[in-house]
Amino acid sequence: MLTEEKKREILDRLKNGVIQYDEDAVREAAQEAVEFGMDANEAIFEGLVSGMEEVGRLFEEQEYFVPELLMCADALYAGLDILKPHVKKMDLGVKGSVVIGTVEGDVHDIGKNIVKMMFDVAGFTVYDLGRDVPLDKFVEEQLRTDSDLVCLSAMMTTTMVGMQKVIEKLKQKNPDVKIMIGGAPVSKELADKWGADGYAPDANNALKEAINMISSLRKMRQEAEANRIEGR
Amino acid sequence: MKADELKSILIESGATVVGVGDISPALKGDIMHLKRAVSIGVKRNLNAVTVKQLIMLQKKAESYLRQKGYRFLSIPPDSDRRNGKFISRLYGLFCHKTAATCAGLGWIGKNGLLINREYGPRLSWATVLTDAPFEPDEPVVVSGCKDCDLCVKYCPSGAISGVEWSRSEPFPLLVDYKKCDEFKKTRRRFEKKPNCGVCINICPYGRQKL
Repeated sequence: MLTEEKKREILDRLKNGVIQYDEDAVREAAQEAVEFGMDANEAIFEGLVSGMEEVGRLFEEQEYFVPELLMCADALYAGLDILKPHVKKMDLGVKGSVVIGTVEGDVHDIGKNIVKMMFDVAGFTVYDLGRDVPLDKFVEEQLRTDSDLVCLSAMMTTTMVGMQKVIEKLKQKNPDVKIMIGGAPVSKELADKWGADGYAPDANNALKEAINMISSLRKMRQEAEANRIEGR
Repeated sequence: MKADELKSILIESGATVVGVGDISPALKGDIMHLKRAVSIGVKRNLNAVTVKQLIMLQKKAESYLRQKGYRFLSIPPDSDRRNGKFISRLYGLFCHKTAATCAGLGWIGKNGLLINREYGPRLSWATVLTDAPFEPDEPVVVSGCKDCDLCVKYCPSGAISGVEWSRSEPFPLLVDYKKCDEFKKTRRRFEKKPNCGVCINICPYGRQKL
């Protein structure tokens, strides 16, 4: 039987497992969550993601560095792999499909992978084009998948300029598509100038942006849940 | 802070050798805060058991450090590097052999392998980097190969240059890996033996007396 106490305990273990980058502990807790028939959405958002939020804070305060951040992300994925098959589809009110990749000439993709993870967690369908992606591929993939969000990443000023071309082409083919750009050389001014809808200057900020997004998604999820109960 | 407790845990759990190295002079960038390397060596049986044992030992070290509230980054044994993990991108940042020389467990031999005075090149390695302020062991700074050039002489591909490693000259061209690879490839085609291993077997350090 899943008592309130047991549920709290599992959620804490998921959360702390992510913070302490303890993959085995996360796996164990996730397995238990499944065995006890816990709501997988809750385990993901109140457990794993809540842990990652804390990790984001630690990273921002320079308490954690890149290795810890990456290991925490691995721990989160370890739990996600177990919980994801048990997620009940829920209407978040957002159509969740995103094309993501690092632009042509650029092989830096840690930031991109972290953002991708957050989309994964949020239940988005993610079309990951990887790194060093030819510019036209973004446009093709957006059209093919009819995704409503395209995320472009670049770490170098030389490759960054490719983004402007992609944005132009994307907007030409589909004015409604939302575009987020990220990477060290990107600025708010550039994002505005090029007509991108959002931006994140580094992995830290990308993480923050993604977490903000997840947090608001979580609120929406809670509201949807509350409405569902009221509507009964 | 002494590392004795961690060392005895690992030795009791089956490690052949354990040492702690001060690696701060070799660090840069994202791993600057991890100034110590716990180097773990296990007698090599060249089978899956060795790898499993190393991973088990690595986990023991991790949970010890976690419990004490320290950070760590495990560099897994070379034959157990799963790609596709976020952290796997950082595995290349620090190599087992450098860690082992810093931890006083041996030198890098003419054959390019870590040579331990007692076990020779017959150990497999795992490394755990940490910010725990352990007292480091005395590093090995010069090669113990000296005049011995058995591996140079007997290498079937003639890949070993015979240059000696030292800490002040850490990256000399010891082995022409292209020649070594080519030879193994050809041999595999004709003999179905996956590897060569002459430079390991011939090394007089740690060779079992018959």
